[in-house]
Amino acid sequence: MSAATAVLRRLKFSREVVLLGVLIVLMIAMSLLSPLFLTVGNLLNTSRFFVEVGLMALGMTLIIITGGIDLSVGSNLALVSVAVGFSYAAGLPLPLAIVFGLVVGVAAGLFNGLFITLLDLHPLVVTLGTFALFQGLAYGLTEAQAVSDFPPWFAYFGQAYLLNVVPGQLFIFIVAVAVVWLILSRTRFGRYVYAIGNNEEAAHFSGVPVRRVKLALYSGTGLLVGMAAVIYTSRVYTARGDSGLGLELDVISAVVLGGASIYGGSGTIGGTVLGVLIIATLRNGLVLAGVPSTWQVFVLGVLLLVAVFLNEFFRRREE
Amino acid sequence: MSEVRAPTPAEERGSSLRDTFRRFMLRPEAPALVFLAVLALAFSLSSDKFLSGPNLESILVSVAVLGTIALAVNQVILCGEIDISTGSMLGLCAVAAGAVAISTGGLILPLLTGVAVGALCGAINGLLVTLGRIPSIIVTLGMLYALRGVILLVTGGTWITGIPDSTTVVGTGTVLGVGYPVIILFVLFLVMELVSRHSTWGRNVFAVGGNRRAARFAGLPIDRTRFLAFVLVGVFVGIASIIYMGRAGSVQTNTGTGLELQVVAAVVIGGTSISGGRGSALAALTGAVLIGVILNGLILLGVPGTWQQAVLGALILLAVATDVLRRRLVGDKA
Repeated sequence: MSAATAVLRRLKFSREVVLLGVLIVLMIAMSLLSPLFLTVGNLLNTSRFFVEVGLMALGMTLIIITGGIDLSVGSNLALVSVAVGFSYAAGLPLPLAIVFGLVVGVAAGLFNGLFITLLDLHPLVVTLGTFALFQGLAYGLTEAQAVSDFPPWFAYFGQAYLLNVVPGQLFIFIVAVAVVWLILSRTRFGRYVYAIGNNEEAAHFSGVPVRRVKLALYSGTGLLVGMAAVIYTSRVYTARGDSGLGLELDVISAVVLGGASIYGGSGTIGGTVLGVLIIATLRNGLVLAGVPSTWQVFVLGVLLLVAVFLNEFFRRREE
Repeated sequence: MSEVRAPTPAEERGSSLRDTFRRFMLRPEAPALVFLAVLALAFSLSSDKFLSGPNLESILVSVAVLGTIALAVNQVILCGEIDISTGSMLGLCAVAAGAVAISTGGLILPLLTGVAVGALCGAINGLLVTLGRIPSIIVTLGMLYALRGVILLVTGGTWITGIPDSTTVVGTGTVLGVGYPVIILFVLFLVMELVSRHSTWGRNVFAVGGNRRAARFAGLPIDRTRFLAFVLVGVFVGIASIIYMGRAGSVQTNTGTGLELQVVAAVVIGGTSISGGRGSALAALTGAVLIGVILNGLILLGVPGTWQQAVLGALILLAVATDVLRRRLVGDKA
């Protein structure tokens, strides 16, 4: 018993190592399920899918560390995708349409932030509202139509290969990871984020500009969602109102799996990246093994529950 | 607002009116009721079909499923928790009840099946929240997806059709021109008002949601109160699944998709505070009817159906913002 406790304690200390172990075990299991899984081509291609979730998960990590949540990221992705596609179809040059899309993403995030901070409302109920609002706007404005006559160069964001093998968006993701990691672990802003999550009131009385930090977080997440939306739209080469449906589940699962406490105060970028990789491996492996997509949703739902349960279990054990 | 000196008689008359108004505005469902009245007036002026008996009855029938579930989710939200798994839960209950209805017909057995499946799902939610100590938003988000997976596993993706008339009568039958769904909804509403006001559990719900620390120090059974609220959602979803089946005549694998959002919207639009401890069964009912009136009004005004989701989202935001502003206006700090 004491040995088991000691092992558990050591596991707690290096959560990233545990996640890495899980990832490796998962990869071995998947390569046994399908011979196609452990090929360089497949692994690199997997990154096409996880970059979108990963970008959004970076922002979500910081939001969850402050004790908040953003349920609207999937809907915001649809809104940006539609903004890019339909402003282009309406005659705006594509580069400007992309900029416009990013502005819409930031504006949507800012809207969340303003609503949450000015009215002192829980992010859960605000983003539940904007979850419906953004998706409804994307759906209503387009009248459920789609745009897909983009110029060939638009494919660069989501379908290009660098050096003939590495998907282009992987570089965008790596840069984004580095930037967000630096912000969270090496700047005053990053300390503020943890301080708000640990005790918002104490942070406020210690002079942390709580509202401004939150506004920056939700807007920044909006920008990351915007980037993900451009990559997504380029990858599927279509702008539709129902893009990104249900993606918030992947994003939140990845962050929570990565060890961020849903109660705020703890979480790391490294953990989130591993969480994203685990979910991508699971999804890709299940596809290759011929498991229908509806079952993947089931697996993901259960995985989310197990991850949170283990998180809180370990946390309580430590206390 | 905090006057100490005794009011003069003249002031008393004036202030008693003002007090009545203030007391009304302090009721959680007051803004929704006012909004409902204004909206009904606007719709009846712009479309002469709106205020007809059949249209009003059809609005109430159309919100029966939503309202029934909202009455139970209202209790969960009053506890300071949330349940967004009801859409998938309704689907699963309807699938189970539909399968039983096909083989046995009648009402009792399908109803019991739906309620049992719902209660089981609710119990899982409740156990994960109370014993597992996982936040309810995460538990029910996970269950929303997991249960949808179970539906597809059980049905293999096929519809359940050919539900006998002896079961669907619950959706089509009427008493004195009033549909069964409407009667069920109002009976459940009355039950929830009574439970809320006069049962120990009903009072505990407010205490647990209003101030959990105080409730713990007072020795109230916090976990049991929350657990029962989640089970209640399951039971009411089970009842709603029979109404749904009776109205639709078949069960599809996507039954109830997106309903969880409408339910939460109904509860908070009605005036129950999302942070718990404040609200009423009347609020949940008002919210559900309000959503029904708005969706119906949009159709009468010829607004395309693609806008429904956006309207719903805007309403949630409007409702929570109004709640905050109203509390600041009447100086209610709670």
